[in-house]
Amino acid sequence: MGLQAGAHNLPFIPVLGLLGTDYMTIRDDLKTVKDPYSGEDYVVVPPIVPDVAVIHGLKGDRFGGVTVLGARNDRLLATAARKTIAVVEALVEPDEVLPGLQEVYVAPLHIDAVVVAPGGAHPTACPGRYEADATHLSAYVAAAKDAAAFRAYLDTYIFGPADHDAYLDAVGFARP
Amino acid sequence: MEDKPVHPYERMIGAIALLLNDGEFAATGTLSPIPAAGCLLAQHTHAPHLAPMIYGDPANRISEGLHEFFGFAQRGGIDVFFLSGIQIDQRGSINLSVIGDYGKPKLRLPGGAGSAMLYSLSRRTILFTMTHTKKLFVPKVDFVNATAFDGDVRTPWRRGGLSHVVTPLGVMKFDREKKRLALDYVFTGGTVAQVVDNTGFDLDVAGREIPVVDPLDGESLRVLRGPVLDKLRTIYPLVCRMVWG
Repeated sequence: MGLQAGAHNLPFIPVLGLLGTDYMTIRDDLKTVKDPYSGEDYVVVPPIVPDVAVIHGLKGDRFGGVTVLGARNDRLLATAARKTIAVVEALVEPDEVLPGLQEVYVAPLHIDAVVVAPGGAHPTACPGRYEADATHLSAYVAAAKDAAAFRAYLDTYIFGPADHDAYLDAVGFARP
Repeated sequence: MEDKPVHPYERMIGAIALLLNDGEFAATGTLSPIPAAGCLLAQHTHAPHLAPMIYGDPANRISEGLHEFFGFAQRGGIDVFFLSGIQIDQRGSINLSVIGDYGKPKLRLPGGAGSAMLYSLSRRTILFTMTHTKKLFVPKVDFVNATAFDGDVRTPWRRGGLSHVVTPLGVMKFDREKKRLALDYVFTGGTVAQVVDNTGFDLDVAGREIPVVDPLDGESLRVLRGPVLDKLRTIYPLVCRMVWG
């Protein structure tokens, strides 16, 4: 709801739920206001306006039109953020940026940069294209428990590879 | 496959299916393979008009985003929803945030997401747990992410609350008058004492005859391991490989 408020430049937005939970004690940004119509108390949250949103798209064109998965909140994020970078699986012509099954269109109005990176969601999934890399994620989780192992992980997969292609080679990503 | 012993998760699926009525709109959230299977089993047996909306199901097309689903729930579209927790207490409060003190936790989890809203705006909520221990079923949760009913604080939007808790050992029922959980029945192969010993709060069993029930008859087991599992594998492939091979 904070993102909805951000997307519409609202000063705050009421949310349902939360009242009676411990969120109200640990989050000082959660306030209550009286509904001027019913007189009931409602919880409100401030708007969320990310400085930068990075979203993952399926297709994109050089003007910034992209398609993203409908099940995610990527379009909402893009409309709320000050700047949005769309990482896309494929660069296509503008008239080919047509949402497929499970996809929605995000207009160039909301997109500041398009980065073409097939496999760019790795090691997480890009549903419909490739599954999550469970082996790699397990290795990451194991490495994250220990500072030296995590440093080695970063050197091998993040700082070591010269570019995205080299990263995909390093992790053994199966290109289509 | 028919001869393989019944897994406790399969009994949970059977128990969830029995709690669903024909014509209801049931929805499952992230990481909810057991409820998803329960909905599918009900749909394939006694509730052909149950319309399950299983998050992550590639066949389930929504127009956009979780906020669409949340809005639908807030408008009263969901009859039954499923939640879980790292801790659940006698009042049915759930904890998805921290173990220990919030400021200095022993374990920090991803948090409650939409659970506080869904717990109060679905017509009823069934909790499910993948284990049944005293660490999970505690007298009082360390952090309340969502409440089973309106206590001291009135929430004008509340539409429902907790109905049952389904665990690998059996089913608890929420007593609306006493505002607490009570043991409803124990799965075949288990005992009331076993459930009581593994629960950190009083299950109100004194003086009550608690039945031992198998919620999964032969026909349901066949359907579960047939069409339900076929469908479930398209949504939760990893979990299905772990439980069914």
